[in-house]
Amino acid sequence: MTKRINKFLRSKHFSLVVLLVMMIAFFWAFSKNHSYLGLNNIRNILNSTVIYTLLAVGGGLVIIAGEIDLSPGYVGTAAGAVMAALLNSTGLPWLVVVVMCLAIGVVFGLINAFLINELKLQSFIATLAIGSFIAGGFAYIVVDGKTLEIKNDAIALIGTGRIGGFVPYTIIISTAVIVIYGVILAKTKFGRCVYLCGGNREAARLTGISPRLMSYILFANSGMLGALAGLLYDARLKAGNLTGTNHYVFPAITAAVLGGLSLGGGNGDMLGCFLGLLIISGFNNGLVVLGVSPFWQNVASGLLLLLALTLDYLTKRGTKGGRAHGKAAGV
Amino acid sequence: MEKLLEFNNISKAYPGVQALDDVGFSVKGGRVAALMGENGAGKSTLLKILSGDIRPDAGGISIDGKAQSFESPHRSLQASISVIYQERQLVNDMSVMENIFFEDLPVSGPGFVNRSELRRGTQEILDVFGLPIKPADIVGRLSVAHQQMVEIMKAYRRDSDIIAFDEPTAPLTDKEIDILFRLIAKLKERGKIILYVSHRMAEVFRISDEIIVLKDGRLVNSFETARTDEAELVRAMIGRDIGDTYANLNRSDNIGDVLLSVKDLVAKGVHGVSFELRRGEVLGFAGLIGAGRTETMRAIFGADPIISGEITLEGKKVRFRSPKDAIANGVALCPEDRKEQGLVLGRSIRDNISMPVLSKVKKGPFLDVRAEESLAGEAVRTYKIKTPSSEKQAGELSGGNQQKIILGRWTSGKMDTKVLILDEPTKGIDVGTKAEVYQMVCDFAGLGIGVIFISSELTEVINVSDNIIVMRDGRITGRVARREATEERVLALAMSDYQESMERMV
Repeated sequence: MTKRINKFLRSKHFSLVVLLVMMIAFFWAFSKNHSYLGLNNIRNILNSTVIYTLLAVGGGLVIIAGEIDLSPGYVGTAAGAVMAALLNSTGLPWLVVVVMCLAIGVVFGLINAFLINELKLQSFIATLAIGSFIAGGFAYIVVDGKTLEIKNDAIALIGTGRIGGFVPYTIIISTAVIVIYGVILAKTKFGRCVYLCGGNREAARLTGISPRLMSYILFANSGMLGALAGLLYDARLKAGNLTGTNHYVFPAITAAVLGGLSLGGGNGDMLGCFLGLLIISGFNNGLVVLGVSPFWQNVASGLLLLLALTLDYLTKRGTKGGRAHGKAAGV
Repeated sequence: MEKLLEFNNISKAYPGVQALDDVGFSVKGGRVAALMGENGAGKSTLLKILSGDIRPDAGGISIDGKAQSFESPHRSLQASISVIYQERQLVNDMSVMENIFFEDLPVSGPGFVNRSELRRGTQEILDVFGLPIKPADIVGRLSVAHQQMVEIMKAYRRDSDIIAFDEPTAPLTDKEIDILFRLIAKLKERGKIILYVSHRMAEVFRISDEIIVLKDGRLVNSFETARTDEAELVRAMIGRDIGDTYANLNRSDNIGDVLLSVKDLVAKGVHGVSFELRRGEVLGFAGLIGAGRTETMRAIFGADPIISGEITLEGKKVRFRSPKDAIANGVALCPEDRKEQGLVLGRSIRDNISMPVLSKVKKGPFLDVRAEESLAGEAVRTYKIKTPSSEKQAGELSGGNQQKIILGRWTSGKMDTKVLILDEPTKGIDVGTKAEVYQMVCDFAGLGIGVIFISSELTEVINVSDNIIVMRDGRITGRVARREATEERVLALAMSDYQESMERMV
């Protein structure tokens, strides 16, 4: 048990928890009537993590496997637009429409994987092109440059309904997604293969793992979760939006990196990712609660990222030096 | 005045290891001191202290009697020290000249790089070395050997008083080794102090004036090169007499029926290779670097595409489309480059060992960590992998122990390996571990596995294998049984022209 505690104290998660607690204490202390920790505000914070979470989980797995996917936000917008168009102009049941839209996400992911694995494009370029140009443009074409209202009760309920009148369905969905993927990543053969491919693609291949197959699955998965993010986004607004989840990708990746995923691949986990998401959402929310000017909010976000990375560096150096020192003194 | 470099009672501890323990010696200007010792003996740590990469816990370095304190690599450079590591520190996308003059680009006017001056300076250095490369060549497109030479030229350009080489010849061919040794001789004449880390006995005897032997972080002894021999050094390095490694190998000479047969294999770099491997046989593949041995094996293993040819495993025709396919049929490959192709350095020993058998260590949908742990524990015990636990990262182990992880991976209780292909399994590992690897190879054969043993070290390939195949330029130029094999004969085949050897074989 003490061994476990020791391990935790040295882990990346610990410094994230410290940062999270410090941040919460700060905003709690300085918010009016300590409203930062009010139930309503906590719900606001969690609500704002929903879209980021879905993108960070799908994109995060791709990052752990050593690639990057910049497209899922755009794919989400496209999927949302298709959903709005189909619900408005066809009589298809909503569930069928949702499945079709998730399939669109999968298709975009497969196209990404094809460009990367068969045409050997870099994932950064391929997914940027597919995302911002193709999927983004596709969304415009589908909704014909307009915002389409969604008149479907089931979708509206998923987007805005709350369990017991308090916990939004969207939070339940995104939390379930990150927990399920966290377990898959940590406990299954598939999850291990994600790490092994990211750690050393060629070594993985030479031991019978197929990095190519993994790449297809992970990009398809990222596309599907991107589509899910887009559907939830539009369900909340009850409208197929033109830019939808486009701009959610970079904050999601930032949160994942803050949570310990290295862009080189092979590292990180979903717990860290979740903490990173909480920190970023909690921080942005805190700035609003304190009434900080929106112009300064970007600057503050940048400073937070710097602070987090510095803290990580210091704790790593601290434990390294401390251990070596302890050893020398102890022997 | 004659230069003097002194290491004064240096100690350095890492968690769990005393990397250096009170190491002290000195080297005078105009002398080449070779540092030898098993992997993990502390040679690299010593060089890192010299270069200011890490700081010792106790003791220090002094130059010409003055104590130095290197807070950073920069300070070490200022003290006129250059350390050339095994891992090249080059900017691959830039030209040779930019890499060589990186720290001190010639500038003209308001800070523009003076390219003609840069080119001229680089050409001067290239002329000294006599290499067929141009100043404007992009480093990333050079051969590995030439890249290593650029690294050396970088140090040469600094004109440092103290130059340390960490296994510089590993990626070099004989031609560049000659150039390097002539250069070292020249530097010696000019009164420089040279430190030279190497595992290669022949080189050390050729180039050094004195040999300093480290073991487990302690200085064992220093020898005048002219007054010692290989046996004495090996004794000092491993702390005992290994005797005649090869004669003492415990072999099973129980060679069975044909297991793998390859006929007219053609692939990239392979031009019609045919051979047979029997159960329990150790089949050596000798040849010079680039003879097509690695390419042959990768094609058989399904790692690279086959153009034509026929492969038969246990009487059945096979053609593996991927390594996965090969592994499922009992063929395993330990690649030449452990770090690039063999191990996932950032993962634990356990994770590296279970890689090919993940499907067999499952409990329901989840991985069974206990089963993995017992596989890894077994490998650590069987092969005496030096580590406190199997959770240690593979990247933190020495080369010999890393090689044992890879061998353990293919011979674990969950594997059913029939053909084991070892590509340069002893590259960069120390004498003691080498002897262990030879015994492992014989043990695998004893279990009825057909072992293919690729090695560029003539002595070992001749003495460990039952039969030796010699390759050159993608073709087999000869087959020799161990009894009839001599280094001269195998070398002649390795360097012979194909035409000639065909005539001789007829």
